[in-house]
Amino acid sequence: MAQNAISQEIFDAVVVGSGAGGGTAVHVLTAKGLRVALLEAGPMLDVGTEFKEHKVPTDYDHRGAEEGGKAYFGKGKPFGFFSTTSGGWELEGEPYTVGEGSQFQWFRSRILGGRTNHYGRMSFRFAEYDFKPYDKDGLGFNWPISYQDISPYYDKAEEFIGVAGTVENVPSCPDGKFHAAPPPKVHEMLVKKACDKLGVICIANRRAVITKNLNGRAACHYCGQCGRGCQSASAYSSAQVQVFPAMKTGRLKVFDLAMVREVLTDENGKATGVLYVDKKTRTEKIIKAKVVILAASACESTRILLNSKSKEFPNGLANGSGLLGRYLMDTVGFGLSGTVPALEGMPHYNTDGYGGAHLFMPWWLWDKHNKLDFPRGYHIEIGGGYSMPGVGSYHGAARRHGYGANMKSKIREGYGNTIGFAGRGEMIPNIHSYCELDPNVVDRWGIPVLKFHFKWTDYEWKQARHMEKTFGEIITAMGGKVAGLSASQRESQGISIPGTIIHEVGGARMGKSAKDSVLNGYCQTHEMKNLFVMDGASFASNPDKNPTLTINALAWRACDYLAEEMKKGNV
Amino acid sequence: MSNFVPLEMIDRRALIRSLALGLTAMGAMDVEAAQHVHAETGAEKAKNGIYKVKTFTAGEYKTIQQLAVLIVPADSVSGSAVDAGAPEFIDTLASQNGQIADIFHGGLAWLDAEMRKRYRATFVAAKPEQRTQMLDALVEAGRELAERQGEELVYQKSPIYKDFTGYTVRRANELGAGVAFFDWVRKMTVDAFYTSPIGFKDLNYIGNQALAKYTVPKEAMEYVMKRSPFA
Repeated sequence: MAQNAISQEIFDAVVVGSGAGGGTAVHVLTAKGLRVALLEAGPMLDVGTEFKEHKVPTDYDHRGAEEGGKAYFGKGKPFGFFSTTSGGWELEGEPYTVGEGSQFQWFRSRILGGRTNHYGRMSFRFAEYDFKPYDKDGLGFNWPISYQDISPYYDKAEEFIGVAGTVENVPSCPDGKFHAAPPPKVHEMLVKKACDKLGVICIANRRAVITKNLNGRAACHYCGQCGRGCQSASAYSSAQVQVFPAMKTGRLKVFDLAMVREVLTDENGKATGVLYVDKKTRTEKIIKAKVVILAASACESTRILLNSKSKEFPNGLANGSGLLGRYLMDTVGFGLSGTVPALEGMPHYNTDGYGGAHLFMPWWLWDKHNKLDFPRGYHIEIGGGYSMPGVGSYHGAARRHGYGANMKSKIREGYGNTIGFAGRGEMIPNIHSYCELDPNVVDRWGIPVLKFHFKWTDYEWKQARHMEKTFGEIITAMGGKVAGLSASQRESQGISIPGTIIHEVGGARMGKSAKDSVLNGYCQTHEMKNLFVMDGASFASNPDKNPTLTINALAWRACDYLAEEMKKGNV
Repeated sequence: MSNFVPLEMIDRRALIRSLALGLTAMGAMDVEAAQHVHAETGAEKAKNGIYKVKTFTAGEYKTIQQLAVLIVPADSVSGSAVDAGAPEFIDTLASQNGQIADIFHGGLAWLDAEMRKRYRATFVAAKPEQRTQMLDALVEAGRELAERQGEELVYQKSPIYKDFTGYTVRRANELGAGVAFFDWVRKMTVDAFYTSPIGFKDLNYIGNQALAKYTVPKEAMEYVMKRSPFA
């Protein structure tokens, strides 16, 4: 490899990926005085050009349908033109494949900050029981850590990134260090009344948005457009909140458009750095470091490890257990909507709020599983309000009402009368859901790509049916009319397509021993002391809580441990 | 920072409002006059004089304008889809994408051919009630097609030919091509209308603002609770 350009400097650590895990790692490690290299497969983030916050459709001649009306052909940006996704389900030149009989969609962002630029900012702590799921129902796997281990790091993560919420004492969703939560909107209060009647817990949402100034970040200004990127960084994104400040320490060097192919090792069984393809020049380069931290996303980190093959490690690095790529999980998703007559004719007001709903329903049947036909739980997210009209908003209504004065007044009357619910539930890890290297395909950088296999089982389907029944009951209790599914719709839309909730985790799960896991409780590979995986790959289970906050907390804890071990000379 | 809506847009809204009134006063709209008014009032596209059509012939463009005003007409609340720039929107996207251009070239030609068959006049030259009859027929045919979606007619297995396992056919609707075209005009017109300042105002959308504090008005809460099952 003499022809590779090798960095002069040997960094204390090289971090691959700049999302929630990588952002937390560079923030914590540079604060401890370490010199860190950060590699991102996409470009640097330019907030000014990338974020479309506060824009209106007429700021663009395509109104949001995108150049040439791409959105009309299903080829627009995921989540719409205004979202700051910088990537998507398919990336040009960077394919993945899906095994026969499986469905899986993989969302990748290629930009500094990764998916934290657009994500929903839902920030729920795992419950105590979430760390010991096997003990609870004999399914899946326990984590090697407990809630008590991670709780102080939830505190740190929440205090640093900022999470708004309320203290509620609900065992399924432990309280945290919260900023004040904004008040419920009208349709949400109606949902809450219905939930009270049905015995469903409905409390203030918990989102990574600050409602008072914090570390130079301004409090939320309630435009509700977190998904477009937040120019005032009131909503957390790792680029703005962690990477940019870490760069100011002078101890962080960012390499953008750097696509990592593999982790390099020496004959002593230690990681020595990473080999990456510099996308700007299409050349291979090497970064040397004392510690290698992968945080490229669950599947991308798994891919790097699988691709790090050598004579000593013919199946990839840290894969002595053969579990690399196994037990991949996503969140179980299902949605249902309805119309609510009580909302008709309400005096309009600004329903933007702090982005997303102001209330949500945590899992409320955690101690009633003996009465259910499925294990594990789900939480419910609420949609509704007077959202900004966009391309596609009224296609359905227009079809229903024909055209002309009648259609126009029907659309006007129906605006804001719809309520929607999305269930987000926990799947049981299964042997049919995994990723591996596709032996026949490489991406445009010459790197072998992933092939996905995925199956929902009865556990997930039954949970989705429980969601459907519950959402229908809530809508009915509100006096609303459910937009029900036909039998054939239920077959195709009765459960989310695997991957599409973008909570894919697992693949390099943590566990007690090298035999049955890839990582230990500190996100450190069992087999190589100076190799860590600090993203969702480490998850032993995928509770219904959105994964980002737990990725933040696990990475923070791992970095504290890593720094201590380095001091002791163990790494 | 109290409001992100730029000032010039508010001016523009006022302009378009006055424009809308003018058009309503004209009754059955003369599209050339409308175009003229646009230029005169100096709305957004008037920076360079009259909007220069990029993709369509004058006849095609007139038909698009006529369709747009029928799909979203002006009423007591707001202006029409023409006021909101729907024809310009369609023309712009068609100029960027040959697929959209073809959908409209072909669809408009189909529409005029069907109108000639029915009324011996093009869409633009036909009487107003003939135009609405045509659109009503398309809406009706569209509903019928939607209801039949997924329905299949299967020719049975033949007892005579043992290799013949049956095949499915879709029932044709003679207006099928027109239904598909009308769906395109309608969705793009509706999009252009509701994404415009006129459409925002029509729906009374009042978000996209920077607020120091978020509050929910009591009157809205009371209005809904009184009408709910929890009153």
